[in-house]
Amino acid sequence: MVSKSRGAALRCAVAATALVLAPVMTAAADEASERPINPYEGRTELVPEGKSLFNQYCSHCHGPDAVQGERPRDLRRLRIRYGDNAIGVFYTTINNGRMDKGMPPWKGVLEEDVVWRIFTFLSAVQTQP
Amino acid sequence: MNRVKRSLLTGIAGAALATASAAAMAQAGNEWLHYGGDQSNTRYSSLSQINNGNVKNLRVLWMHSLGSLESQQSTPLVVGDTMYVTTSTGPKYVFALDAKTGKVKWKHEPEMPNDYFATVCCGLDNRGVAYANGKVYFGRLDARLVALDANTGKELWNVAVADYKKGHAITSPPVVYKNLVVTGIAGGEYGIRGFVEAYDQNSGQSAWKTYTIPGAGEPGNETWKGDSWKTGAGSTWYVGSYDPKLNLVYWSTSNAGPWGGHTRGNDSSDILPYTNLWTSSQLAFDGDTGKIVWGYQYTPSDVWDYDGVNEGVLADINIGGQKTPALMHADRNGFFYVLNRQNGKLLSAEPVVPVNWAKGVDLKTGMPVEDPTKRPRLGVWARNVCPNLIGGKNWEPMSYSPQTGLAYIPLFNMCMDIASKEEEYTPGKFYLASEFNLDMAGSEGANLSELVAWDPVAKKKAWGIKEDLPFLSGTMTTAGGLVFYGNQHGVLKAVDAKTGNVLWQFNVGTGILQSPITYVVGGKQYVAVVAGRTKGPPSFFGKIGQRVIDASPEGGVLVVFAL
Repeated sequence: MVSKSRGAALRCAVAATALVLAPVMTAAADEASERPINPYEGRTELVPEGKSLFNQYCSHCHGPDAVQGERPRDLRRLRIRYGDNAIGVFYTTINNGRMDKGMPPWKGVLEEDVVWRIFTFLSAVQTQP
Repeated sequence: MNRVKRSLLTGIAGAALATASAAAMAQAGNEWLHYGGDQSNTRYSSLSQINNGNVKNLRVLWMHSLGSLESQQSTPLVVGDTMYVTTSTGPKYVFALDAKTGKVKWKHEPEMPNDYFATVCCGLDNRGVAYANGKVYFGRLDARLVALDANTGKELWNVAVADYKKGHAITSPPVVYKNLVVTGIAGGEYGIRGFVEAYDQNSGQSAWKTYTIPGAGEPGNETWKGDSWKTGAGSTWYVGSYDPKLNLVYWSTSNAGPWGGHTRGNDSSDILPYTNLWTSSQLAFDGDTGKIVWGYQYTPSDVWDYDGVNEGVLADINIGGQKTPALMHADRNGFFYVLNRQNGKLLSAEPVVPVNWAKGVDLKTGMPVEDPTKRPRLGVWARNVCPNLIGGKNWEPMSYSPQTGLAYIPLFNMCMDIASKEEEYTPGKFYLASEFNLDMAGSEGANLSELVAWDPVAKKKAWGIKEDLPFLSGTMTTAGGLVFYGNQHGVLKAVDAKTGNVLWQFNVGTGILQSPITYVVGGKQYVAVVAGRTKGPPSFFGKIGQRVIDASPEGGVLVVFAL
């Protein structure tokens, strides 16, 4: 995804249904310039809504409120596992799925707006190393 | 076949029928020929060489590694001196073992596609094979049904029962009788339309297929709002039972789809006419034609994920002084039902766990009397609903002993908060339209489960063993006066069937979900159990789930015991 300025990202978030994705990220999503940006970064007031969306769409595998005992499914550990690239792995995996691990692809099913609200919630519950 | 005849059974107290019809419903003896021990799913063995006097001496004889992790739920079969056992994850393997020594006779490794995992909701489960006329049959998580030669393991036929990419899978063994092999289908969380389908044992050709959700114009379709029947679920993911005298196949159905009921009804406890037939229901199908002969709905207009799929245990029991052809069923919704299996008449419905979503079941109308505050609605939470969606009882099977007249039921003690949400149907994706919190204990006591001995005629508990964690295994009961069950710590226990005293236990190292079986080869009785801690369901149980995950590592092992 082509990196956008913060202002441009927010405008896109407001017109969520018109948001067009640039070509999908490559597997080596560790180039800072290709990393997606959370348009809601820092918006802590959106965490409860993000939690509710997470619980509706993700919790039956990833655990309600992201509380999860099976390590591979524990999304609170994204930062421990992937560091600064957590956002890239999150975005790629949500879009493309991991079919051999049972994670379905959500691209075209979940709107961008929903995806980033969920990420905003997840960012608030990351396990400290 | 060396089958122990009913006439050899001695000292059996009152309840058993000694007629030609009962002989046709033969019990497990030297062999274990069906998932549930017999076609009635009693999980009762007539063997008594191992009994409540000597079970304390039970010890491990041999083990066999299953080669997969994830929840192990298989019930092995023993036919002659061969044991057939499946594993999770596909199944990854079907094994034929020497039942005496554990030596592998053959193994079958299904060619599974690498993308079926996302359309299996609740664990990569496989509960075993069925055997008939020299062939073994099993279902796969990519919704295929396969027949193998029982002697060589060679694949004889392999059919796609449904499209796995649209959310279908098969997790349980089929039912076999006459020339037919009959399978259910899983996918109630993916908005499928449930069905039961019969295939010819020899050719693999479909013989009949009956949907559990009536289509447009069919009787019962009017119990669905608009087109919601098309994604109504009513899947048949667990096992059926068969009565050869009545020639009826009994199968029961899952939750309604999606879990959120606003899409398919009035979204209130005033549910009529939208009962959503035949979800969360017991059905009886004609064995030859598949036509639905009778149906009874356990949970009309389900919004709690109270699947009705639990096994129907067939037994002739004494009700009000009358020998009655009964079907006993402990439901997800917390009630224990006794139905007349000939005509579907409701005889009794008693709570076996604390139940608050309904005050009781009206025996005249057959309908539950709901508490409206416990029905989740669109955007409206129902708080502290008991039992929770995992149920008072889940698939882990109960057993019934004609010797004691008791049913031995693994039960959960948990409650939940749940609400309905807006959601669109997408093929191959979860279709729940629901939000829930399951990280809650039950309303009575700190124990999250209990092994209960229940008297279905007196309608009361005889004894119980409380356990700390949820997910107790299925149970098996024997003429030796024993009940066997296990837990997620990995402990297998032998319990006195009359008193509930624990007489023996052994930790197999990983959680146990399925009851053991017992069989005789060369005059010696063995007990075999498959173990591998549950994976999948604990992931949506928050901190309670963490405790289950921490109780033992995942595993995959078959352990065989003898005196």
